[in-house]
Amino acid sequence: MILEARNLTKRFRLGNRDVDALRGVSLQVSRGEFVAIMGPSGSGKSTLLQLLGGLDTPTSGEVVLDGEVISHLGDRAATRLRREKTGFVFQFFNLIPLLDVYENVALPYTIAGVDPRHGETAVRIREVIEQVDLKGREHHRPDQLSAGEQQRVALARALVAKPAILLADEPTGNLDYSTGGEILDELWRSCDGMGQTIVLVTHDARAAAHADRVLVVGDGKIRDEIELGRRQDPDPSPLIARLTQLGL
Amino acid sequence: MRRLSSLAWRSLRARSLRSFLTMAGIALGVAVLFAALSAGAAMDAAVDRAAADEMGHADLRVQALEEQGLSRETVAVVRGVSDAAVVAPALERKTYLSASLTQTPSSKLPEPVTVLGIDVVSEPQLHDIPLAAGRLLAESDRQSALITETLSTDENLRVGDSVKLNGTAASGPVSYVIVGIIRGQGSLPDAAGRLVFLPLGDAQSLFGTTGVTRIDLGAAHGVSVERLSGELVATIKTEPYLLSQIQDLADSLRGETSDFRSALLLVAAVVLFAGAFLIFNTLSMTVAERGREVGLLRAAGASRSQVMSIVLLQALALGVLGSLIGIAGGIALAALMLSWVQSSGPITFSTPSVSAWSVAMALSIGVMVTLAASLEPAWRAGRISPIEALRRQPSGAVAGAARLRWLILVFGVLALAALAAWPRATGSDSPGTSVSSGIGSGTLGPLAVYGLMLISVLLLPFVLGPLLRVAGVPFRVFRNEERLARSSLARDRSRTALTVGALVVGLGMVVALGTAAQDVRRIGADWLAETIPGSELLTSIRPMPTTDDAIKKELAAIPGVQSVSPIGTFGVPYVYTTQENGRTLENVVRQEAAAIVGADYQTDGRLVFVAGGGDRRSAFAALDSGGSVILPKSLADSTGVHVGDSIEFATGTNLASLKVAGIVAHTLPAESQEAILVGWPDALRIFGVTGADFYAVRYAPGQESSARPKLEATATLYALQPSDLSRVQGAFGDALDRIFRLLDMLALIAVVVAGLGMVNTFSMSVLERGREIGVLRATGMTGRQVWGMVVIEAGVLGLVGAIIGAVVGLIVGALLVSWSSGGFAPIFDPPWATIGLAVLFGFLVSIAAAIYPAGMASRQSIVHALQHE
Repeated sequence: MILEARNLTKRFRLGNRDVDALRGVSLQVSRGEFVAIMGPSGSGKSTLLQLLGGLDTPTSGEVVLDGEVISHLGDRAATRLRREKTGFVFQFFNLIPLLDVYENVALPYTIAGVDPRHGETAVRIREVIEQVDLKGREHHRPDQLSAGEQQRVALARALVAKPAILLADEPTGNLDYSTGGEILDELWRSCDGMGQTIVLVTHDARAAAHADRVLVVGDGKIRDEIELGRRQDPDPSPLIARLTQLGL
Repeated sequence: MRRLSSLAWRSLRARSLRSFLTMAGIALGVAVLFAALSAGAAMDAAVDRAAADEMGHADLRVQALEEQGLSRETVAVVRGVSDAAVVAPALERKTYLSASLTQTPSSKLPEPVTVLGIDVVSEPQLHDIPLAAGRLLAESDRQSALITETLSTDENLRVGDSVKLNGTAASGPVSYVIVGIIRGQGSLPDAAGRLVFLPLGDAQSLFGTTGVTRIDLGAAHGVSVERLSGELVATIKTEPYLLSQIQDLADSLRGETSDFRSALLLVAAVVLFAGAFLIFNTLSMTVAERGREVGLLRAAGASRSQVMSIVLLQALALGVLGSLIGIAGGIALAALMLSWVQSSGPITFSTPSVSAWSVAMALSIGVMVTLAASLEPAWRAGRISPIEALRRQPSGAVAGAARLRWLILVFGVLALAALAAWPRATGSDSPGTSVSSGIGSGTLGPLAVYGLMLISVLLLPFVLGPLLRVAGVPFRVFRNEERLARSSLARDRSRTALTVGALVVGLGMVVALGTAAQDVRRIGADWLAETIPGSELLTSIRPMPTTDDAIKKELAAIPGVQSVSPIGTFGVPYVYTTQENGRTLENVVRQEAAAIVGADYQTDGRLVFVAGGGDRRSAFAALDSGGSVILPKSLADSTGVHVGDSIEFATGTNLASLKVAGIVAHTLPAESQEAILVGWPDALRIFGVTGADFYAVRYAPGQESSARPKLEATATLYALQPSDLSRVQGAFGDALDRIFRLLDMLALIAVVVAGLGMVNTFSMSVLERGREIGVLRATGMTGRQVWGMVVIEAGVLGLVGAIIGAVVGLIVGALLVSWSSGGFAPIFDPPWATIGLAVLFGFLVSIAAAIYPAGMASRQSIVHALQHE
């Protein structure tokens, strides 16, 4: 077990009323597993991802990542956790516009104070750039890349430090159908080929169909769990059928 | 990117316009600061040089207090002092060249020359007399002279020529053969280069005296100045004198520039303060703009301190570069400033002084202010949550959280820096007071001015709403644009307050200086009108004998002249007591005094007696009959003396005691003090005054124009220089105006810095509102209308800044006025012309600042704008 959430709740203050974004969520993710979290807008799926990645702290409950309770860490420890154990892919790519592809991918090392130009680090960076099929584009800046390429840079940056878990928040939300598919394939390959644990938040059944297991979130709770298993062909039909049954 | 820090440099490069403008703001602030420090140091150096020129290698100077100078006996006593190796007595007097007097039209006197009678043997041992031609004076020389190169050029005199000098009526004009020409202007700053050296005996016989004005002494080998001084004090018992070292002379000269230097530093602090707004605003905007980017860094594992360090590194780079550019610009500015103030004093300022200290000071203050201004944005950047990376739009928490509390920190840093650089106190021990520009060399006043400006900026967000509405009124013609512009300004009040804050501070300073300048000018005019019994002054370069009143009578007999009153100014050895450690100490200081005719003042109605200041008629009568004085209120207050008390003067072996017959609001201004008024009998008998320095003439009503030509012709016969009182007042005002104009120019730099900040703010605002502008354009707004909207935004902001700046300036000005009034009823008279110009300048700077961002907004592609995030 690499990740476990125990009875997570999250309450926000919105104006003069309290909103319960999560109302007691528990889940487990095994090492090397690809889990998708689905749900409609406002269901609490992004909040759940933030708690799982240690970006935010729950109102109650706890998150255990790689044997360590991460849900109530101080800023310093949470920073270390993000640096060492998690990788994020965002909907809006979030590349640093001033840095080129190589430098954006190398960012986790740079932040950690490791020189990304030499030794094993450089080898690893080149390897992951190759893995996301961006070889030859190392010195391009984000504004010289297509949207799909930018998201692949973001994916490479999330994967480069071999995080214990990769968290992706709607990584295809800003991409067209075929480019989004390429990114999902990339994610799946890193999971299947390299054993990367992935938690993907999406509202797109086609994206979720790449996962081994889909957790359906609604009203701040996990309403259903759909076991799809590891498949070479991410056919979304069984998932869509199940979601239809659930009225989603 | 080997290190995260390179992200800081790249960010600066990527926002090159913003970085450039911020750096320019810092550079301008530091330039003014460095110019103030450098000009101050140059003034210090010039003062030290002037003091060194005047004192030469002398260790001590014994100076005469009385007009007839130190007597032959005193010179003999000093020559007998065993601890002195060299004794150089000298007599200094002003006179006219006989030739120039006869060649000049009767109404205008020529420039006088200063004659220095020297001991030809000992003087060169203590004073360098560099020769351009000829030789020094020798012991055997009779009727020989040395002149300066300046005088040689002015009067076309060469070695071997004769120079004819006017002496007393008895001696008449005497010719001297020029044996040498001294290089340059000579060593006496007051002589303005027109200096003639004569052997002491020749000078004494020319002026009909046996006295000397000073004796310079060189201590014997191994003798300390203190010991020599002690021996002199123990030996000279016959007459009053002043004992001074080079430092005393330098201090007294330095005192004359300290007000100006303090004012310069205050203005520099204000410009830097405006610069700090720019830095803070720019970095705040950058942090807000890069919210998601920072969020990503945090999500990728960057710690708070790493994020903070990126912002601080940017600030450091801007601070260091801006400060270095500012220092280079400051050298040029200091040179301009020095040449501008050159004409207001006798001391020649050379090139600006660039010392390691001033460079280090300006650099460290520039960098400290930049860092202080960047701490809050850096701290805010460090607090950005990694969740920010997940948001579709930057959250309000990042974009709009500029806080004004940081201002207190910047204020503190600047205040400490200003205190460190403040000119050291050079006030004399005298209990008298002086009237100054109001800024003063004290530190409390400037801190209060500075604090007031800070408070007004902190209050800005609270008054912004109504003020925006008021300032929007002139733009109502463009209804939609005006409303959009106003709502854009009200959107982020902190940012708007900071942007307008710099303008308020700059314009406030301009208006405050204008108010102070006007008031100081008024005080100067009021002072003279209150204390001088006449509207025309006839001044003489040498005391005019008053014993037989012949000149007075001749002048008074001119038809249309109502009264003529002789006035003599001189120094008196005033004795006052102080308490120290429970003991009463008796101190003797030089206090300025003036001899007046009480009856003339009574008739003319001059001087204002304070409550409890005695009876006017009896006080003037007491002055004329002798044994009494009239004191200025400032001196009476500071020494606790009342009417009927006696005050003492160390005039010789015994103390002379005079009774205080009256206390008046003000007396005649003399050497930046208010003079003690004594009657002529006492002046002649006790203080050794030999005559009047000027006559105050009052014309009969309506007869001024008919009487003036005759009066001026008669005055010139006695070598009296006529000058209208209003011209004296005007000259005083003009000298002040020159100084205040310079300060105004420097304060306007703060407004320019504010303008740079506005370019940044408007550019950022246009970028942020990209989508909004796109929507406006898509729904039919023309590019011209968009341009107008941004320019109106600037116009409204400029007007708000100008209105608040004028109000703040008037309040600060009123404070300066109340401090500088020197007992004159403070009259609050707003300088409308200055206010009008300042408001116009502030408005125009704002409009100019919006031109580029407005162009950017109007040219923005609609498609691109609608894609904008």
